Amino acid sequence: MTEFNALLKRAFAEAHEPADDGFSLRIGRAVARRESAIGARAVIYAIGLGVAGVAVFMGVFPLLWGFGQDFLNSGGLEVARAQGAFNSEAPALTSSVSEQAQSWMQSISAGLMGQMLLIAAALAGGAVAYRASQD
Amino acid sequence: MAARGFLSLAQASEASLIIASQARDQGAFGELVKRRQGWARALLRRMCNNHAEADDLAQEAFIKAWDNIRNLENPAAFPGWFRRIAVTTFLMAKRRQKAVFEVIDDASPLASEESTPEAAASAKIDLEKALANLSDAERLCVTLNHGEGLSHSEIVDMTGLPLGTVKSHVLRGTDKLRRLLDAAA
Repeated sequence: MTEFNALLKRAFAEAHEPADDGFSLRIGRAVARRESAIGARAVIYAIGLGVAGVAVFMGVFPLLWGFGQDFLNSGGLEVARAQGAFNSEAPALTSSVSEQAQSWMQSISAGLMGQMLLIAAALAGGAVAYRASQD
Repeated sequence: MAARGFLSLAQASEASLIIASQARDQGAFGELVKRRQGWARALLRRMCNNHAEADDLAQEAFIKAWDNIRNLENPAAFPGWFRRIAVTTFLMAKRRQKAVFEVIDDASPLASEESTPEAAASAKIDLEKALANLSDAERLCVTLNHGEGLSHSEIVDMTGLPLGTVKSHVLRGTDKLRRLLDAAA
């Protein structure tokens, strides 16, 4: 059996197929087509991403624009108030610097509450999305 | 092209061709196909027993190799790596054709008479003709064992067949070949 197995191995080894140039050419063409298709897909993907990015930007920009204006208005108003409070003459006897600062902080908090909540929500949302992407 | 680093593809070593192919050099991969196609087509022709189907599967296997050649860490491992792709491609094709590989055909019992190696050696070995008389599973296992020099456990690893089934297929397939070749003599 061992000798027969050796004979079989020799027979297998001697029975290789002759090279066929047509076969190599077909593979070459198939590989070239495949690479072209991959290149075309990459271009389509890049264009799609660009279009999606522009669409998202166009959708988000008006929101950011409105929010930004609101934020700047409120901030400016609070700065003006604080400046007025510090520049006012003869503060009351009970009013110390720390009370004025506290009053200013409360005023800022009340004026910018909406914006601060929005920023906190955006940060929390971002953190959740980041965590989800890491998982 | 920069990855090629040699003047003539025909003079390049196989390892260089593989490294260039990993850098997506189609010319280098073409040369690799040219060098390996004889072996790959012979392997699949023996497993398939159908020349046209074997060439289609060899083409499919080479394209899979092109797609995945970046995953090949050691260029010296290319033959074994490609053999695995070829065998997997063959098995997938057979699964599509609903071929059954695990059932051992007991209707063809082992030959009781002993044949001498000399008798087989004196015969004009028409290996392909003899292999055509084996079942798909026997042909696969015998080709991998005798043709590719794989051990039973390596065949198990490559095909997913149980060890006992592989051993039976190799034994029965070899015995059938011996009887067929003796008869031809």
